[in-house]
Amino acid sequence: MYQYNEVDQKLVDERVEQFRDQTRRYLAGELSDDDFLALRLMNGLYVQRHAPMLRVAGPYGMYNSTQLRKLAHIARTYDKGYAHFTTRTNLQFNWPALEQVPDILAELASVQMHAIQTSGNCIRNTTTDQFAGVIADEIEDPRPYCEIIRQWSSLHPEFAYLPRKFKIAISAGPTDRAATQVHDIGLHIVKNDAGEVGFEVLVGGGLGRTPVIGKQIRPFLAKQDLLSYLEAIIRVYNLNGRRDNKYKARIKILVQAMGIDKFRELVDAEWEQIRETDLQLPQSEIDRVKAFFTPFDYDQSAAEDTSLAQKLAEDEAFRIWYERNTVEHKQAGYRITYVSLKPYLKPAGDITAEQLDLVADLAEKYSFGEVRATHNQNLVLADVRNADLYAVWQVLANADLARPNIGTLTDMTVCPGGDFCALANAKTLGIADQINQKFEDMDYVHDLGDLKLNMSGCINACSHHHVGHIGILGVDKKGEDWYQITLGGDDGSEAALGKVIGKAVAADEVADTLQKVIEVYVNNRFENERFIDTFRRIGLDPFKEYVYAPAH
Amino acid sequence: MPLLINREVVSDNWTLVDEETLQQSGDIIVPLALYLENQAELNSREGQTGLLVNGDDDLNTVLEMAEQFPLIAVDFPAFRDGRGFSIARLLVRAGYQGELRATGDIGRDRLAYMERCGFTAIQIADEVYRPEMLSAFTEVSNYYQSAADQVRAVYHQ
Repeated sequence: MYQYNEVDQKLVDERVEQFRDQTRRYLAGELSDDDFLALRLMNGLYVQRHAPMLRVAGPYGMYNSTQLRKLAHIARTYDKGYAHFTTRTNLQFNWPALEQVPDILAELASVQMHAIQTSGNCIRNTTTDQFAGVIADEIEDPRPYCEIIRQWSSLHPEFAYLPRKFKIAISAGPTDRAATQVHDIGLHIVKNDAGEVGFEVLVGGGLGRTPVIGKQIRPFLAKQDLLSYLEAIIRVYNLNGRRDNKYKARIKILVQAMGIDKFRELVDAEWEQIRETDLQLPQSEIDRVKAFFTPFDYDQSAAEDTSLAQKLAEDEAFRIWYERNTVEHKQAGYRITYVSLKPYLKPAGDITAEQLDLVADLAEKYSFGEVRATHNQNLVLADVRNADLYAVWQVLANADLARPNIGTLTDMTVCPGGDFCALANAKTLGIADQINQKFEDMDYVHDLGDLKLNMSGCINACSHHHVGHIGILGVDKKGEDWYQITLGGDDGSEAALGKVIGKAVAADEVADTLQKVIEVYVNNRFENERFIDTFRRIGLDPFKEYVYAPAH
Repeated sequence: MPLLINREVVSDNWTLVDEETLQQSGDIIVPLALYLENQAELNSREGQTGLLVNGDDDLNTVLEMAEQFPLIAVDFPAFRDGRGFSIARLLVRAGYQGELRATGDIGRDRLAYMERCGFTAIQIADEVYRPEMLSAFTEVSNYYQSAADQVRAVYHQ
């Protein structure tokens, strides 16, 4: 994991003092609401004076035990004892007092964390594969490039007031676990015909009101050109993106309006001007950052363990968890292990201070002191020895963090919705509970297999409903909550936008409607065929006909 | 309106004109469109002529003739509009040597960024200006990336 040097530390420390002074002046009435708005957004602080929300950056999802303990401490001391992991792998506090935010930022800086650029119309936290560095099929670990982008984009003087927020994601192998095709810029680490490793670059993807799959702007970009090319794209966007309407201000609208070819022409012309400048990334810098992400000193005898097989045979609950919530590690004798933040009848992504401490302890004891957050709002202990899995599972299970539902229907990605969010048109948490109750039988849920369900409380699509295999969108109809269902979305390598199945359903009918959708799948699937594959094979119509058939 | 050059308030001899005040004497700043309409007349007048550009103007036109102006002012019509930062960088890259002035909706939080993007003068509205704003330039003292200032990217330092 990246460790701050003096430059990094000084920057976050100075930033804390800067914000402390700004907050003091605001509270003293010397700064207007508008002036303070611009400043606080750049520090991840949202909304009003009495109930702000602070979003802390989790750079490309990486956290260490010290940081998690600090976050637990902040949750206890400054908030209501819990926090919330977001789909950008950041962490939110929902109830800090404005007066205390400078102190919270100082606490964060003491463990090499910050809240810089977690909100506002700037370059946000770059996200990547939660399995970076530990999965066999990756071409190269994407995290060094995430860190290089983090540094380049932090307090970038030219790009702090873009037309709209700007999100970058990187994936590094054939399986896209970072939803790169629905980002403003998606980077794929690829190998060209000459065997060189570089990036395929996509631009103009995004969700929200106008969901779009990103388009390829460059099939291969050499590593040393990474920053100059990003800068060229964002400069063209900054100068040409729409500023008259915030719903048409994302880069996807510019790329659509201009056409990808014209957009590429502008970017290439700009890029030619800056390729050979200071932006050219020296190999020495790539190597320096890479050194922070070298593989751990793995126990070479880990694969000789026989206790795991024995425990799997003895304990069915453990076996079910193992099959669903752990993933093959590239190092023999190790497993990648999920911490499920999707317990029964509790908000997705929420975590208590006690659970944060517990995960920190587990990471320290069993996984080299590191934890990753996923864009589906779960956590990952990436390096657990086979021999330790049973102990890890027991601790997680006692803390309600081992629900064996990763990748299944109840591993829902859900925004806070109308209960918390001022933008929401409809509530989501009660609907999630309704679905959980309907699909409580884990055997049934496991039989349904991989199924991605995403639910957003409004068209801003924070929970990416367009790319859920099943998407649910809350809409407001004359003051009542209704829910529109889409099928066939995917945020992986075969990214697709879901299709609306028909008219929206009432709040009390969501789980029943879902049940019908599932029945169509079960009746049509081939053996071991995933929901999304059945959908692709048979199309929308069989679902539509069955769900909306008159009651018998 | 206070004008900052080298992080100090200095006197300002320039006047921004519009169609009606175009005829006035002294050093004037003329919006691009107005300049293009009255180019011949303006080029023969006494006193210096500067240009005011904004994000809607054709930047190629500006870049082509930049050299002839002792001053180019870049307008920030609203605090959310960050096009001026890129415009400044393009002008600096094109070798523009005159006064590069930021004007419009400019608050404390953008001062350091403007300097880094190559503005050599920043004009702040009377109702916004406070002497303590000058400390904004030095609150954050180190940077990761290069810009139009003399700072080199951290990996080249």
